[in-house]
Amino acid sequence: MSTRTYRDTDTVDFVIVGSGAAGGVVARELAQAGLTVVLMEQGPKFTPRTYTHDELRDWYLGAITNDVVKNPQTFRDDEGKKAQLQQFKPALWYGRAVGGGSLHYTANFWRFHEIDFNERSVLGPVSGTGFADWPLTYADLEPYYTKVEWEIGVSGLAGVNPFDPPRSKPYPMPPLPVKSSGVLFERGARKLGWHPVPAPMAINSVPYRGRSACVHCGFCHGFACEVGAKASSFATVIPEAEATGRCEVRSDSYVFRIETNKAGRATGVTYFDRDRTERFQRARAVVVCANGAETPRLLLMSASSQFRHGLANSSGLVGKYLMFNTNSRTVGVFEHELNEYKSVQVTRIVHDFYDSDPARGYYGGGGLDARMGPQPTTWALRTATEGPSWGGEFKARLREFPRGMQVACHGTSLAIESNNVTLDPELKDAWGLPALRVTYKDHPDDLATSRFLQDRGAEILEAAGALRVTRAPVAPQTSSVHLLGTCRMGNDPRTSVIDNYHRSHDVPNLFLCDGSSLVTSGRGQPTMTIQALAFRAGEHIARFATRGEI
Amino acid sequence: MDSANLSRRSLLQAIAAVIASAATPIGWTEAAAAMEQAHAASLEGGDATISFLTTAEALDVEAVAAQIVPTDEFPGAREAGAVYFIDRALATFFSQLAGDYRAQLASFQASYRERYPAAASFASVKSEQQIEHLRSIDETPFFNTTRLLTLLGMFSLPAYGGNRGGIGWKLIGFEDRHVFHPPFGYYDRDYPGFSLDKAK
Repeated sequence: MSTRTYRDTDTVDFVIVGSGAAGGVVARELAQAGLTVVLMEQGPKFTPRTYTHDELRDWYLGAITNDVVKNPQTFRDDEGKKAQLQQFKPALWYGRAVGGGSLHYTANFWRFHEIDFNERSVLGPVSGTGFADWPLTYADLEPYYTKVEWEIGVSGLAGVNPFDPPRSKPYPMPPLPVKSSGVLFERGARKLGWHPVPAPMAINSVPYRGRSACVHCGFCHGFACEVGAKASSFATVIPEAEATGRCEVRSDSYVFRIETNKAGRATGVTYFDRDRTERFQRARAVVVCANGAETPRLLLMSASSQFRHGLANSSGLVGKYLMFNTNSRTVGVFEHELNEYKSVQVTRIVHDFYDSDPARGYYGGGGLDARMGPQPTTWALRTATEGPSWGGEFKARLREFPRGMQVACHGTSLAIESNNVTLDPELKDAWGLPALRVTYKDHPDDLATSRFLQDRGAEILEAAGALRVTRAPVAPQTSSVHLLGTCRMGNDPRTSVIDNYHRSHDVPNLFLCDGSSLVTSGRGQPTMTIQALAFRAGEHIARFATRGEI
Repeated sequence: MDSANLSRRSLLQAIAAVIASAATPIGWTEAAAAMEQAHAASLEGGDATISFLTTAEALDVEAVAAQIVPTDEFPGAREAGAVYFIDRALATFFSQLAGDYRAQLASFQASYRERYPAAASFASVKSEQQIEHLRSIDETPFFNTTRLLTLLGMFSLPAYGGNRGGIGWKLIGFEDRHVFHPPFGYYDRDYPGFSLDKAK
């Protein structure tokens, strides 16, 4: 397909930085509203033919994600320490190709609940944290959740989860076929009096909007979908943006600076093209959708004499309040084969413990799901951390692969200022730009919630008749794919970076929309909310543009 | 570089570009090069070769790998060719680990010699003695890295040098296919469909 291209000297209406879950949606919304768009992406543009079942390449060599050699990061768990180079696995892991993280996500598409937006008011403060309400409510976002379900494509069953927030429409597709893990999970949870339901997944259960139904190959998590059944931006909104004839997707284009003029307005972006030539694209406005790691990094790298501490950073909160969500898991081994390596990750979930319960003595809540482990390589590496780790007994555990499943638990992370993304003072990436430095330590309440949820997961597996149940150790996290909260939304410019419509408080023609916008972490499945925010942001930004209000 | 087309021609161009720019060798391109090498070796009918490790090092690493996933009535790391994967990894796509690993391996060998001065090498002694020694060092960086690479070698695509003939996948019952149909396993065979009536 030949699509519109622009020259650097053309002043386009919008440059969007980042082509992932949020950037793809914003690009489509703006282009469909008649505006001209250049969508910049650090990584390459692949074709579905390139997507394979190569675990080593996709999980450990950064084929579709940032890799530790080209895009090195440092990590520490305390701001008083020197951060250490991560040699094998990035601390913050994200898609680095057209489609971004939506290429490799698992596609769990839970809506946030009403409580996620006003929990601070309901529960009161948590000392030492930046726990806060959102400047919008679930009701404000509901139409956009529905838009995600129908325009991106989500499979599920409405009206069966007693904990679901109100919805204006059912799902457009029936749930995916249940797996053995889902059957066992449903059986166990019901014995305990809980409410297991089919999982909402952004994966086609039937052909939808010109895309294929899932072929159950089993390579969703960490892989890009070969048949386009998983609803990445690459497979859904980006082709629709290009089809307007107004959006150019510019891959291998690494934006490292947002330029501003004396009036304090953004004039465009400076980037390295695929030949590492420095170029400048002019634009009337800039939208950064580069994810919760790269968005704050770009703002910090855009510091100038006018914006000494980084662009849009008068609050000092750019990069702060990083939230990962907690994860814990329990592995169950059963008598017969489940063959969990086939089909999608998750087919059943439980939300009975979604809300925080002050009676537990700590803040937090979450959801549980029945899922396969990862595919063989990562599964073997994990197995080595959960019992015998070498020798004959370990080998016997490896051979349990087809008879195992896990209950994965996803929980809240509190916003803590000392959990953050900054520029490493020494380390540079392969382009000579400052590397990401990550500082993170889970709040004790988050770890307590994670253990609480893990115990519920173990109960489900025991009730389902597992022969053996193994709890993976719950420990402070040093790595995540959920990159949230680092340019938070709020009404007060002193305590937030962007307003209710994603406009930065400091620079009128600069908008930020991605995981960095989130004020609270939700219960572990953020992409649905990131895309709902992106649809809402796209609609409002287009309106501002056409009314001359940018 | 448009990595979409990994034909041999564009691959060679990509590698040439990386070398020309004197950039640090990186992830996918390197991996693809390693796959090409393995593929070429299999086409030529030659054995995979050891290029990074010395012969003595390779024998010791293979012996450790063979204790991590031992051979019993089913094949283990030795039959899967894990050491060839490890060697290729250190020479190419995990070259960032190579310097540290070689030093860790040297200290492993030194610790072994100190404990058993009479033995020619770790690889040359009986399995029981190897196990006894490994029990005392199985939390060292050397052992952890060897386990990591052994498991990657057991289960990654055979094109990377290990998992020969899909031995690792067969061992654990993984089918390498791109399309499956329900039912997937034993427990979803007779599932009657989701119903709220079943609750309680």
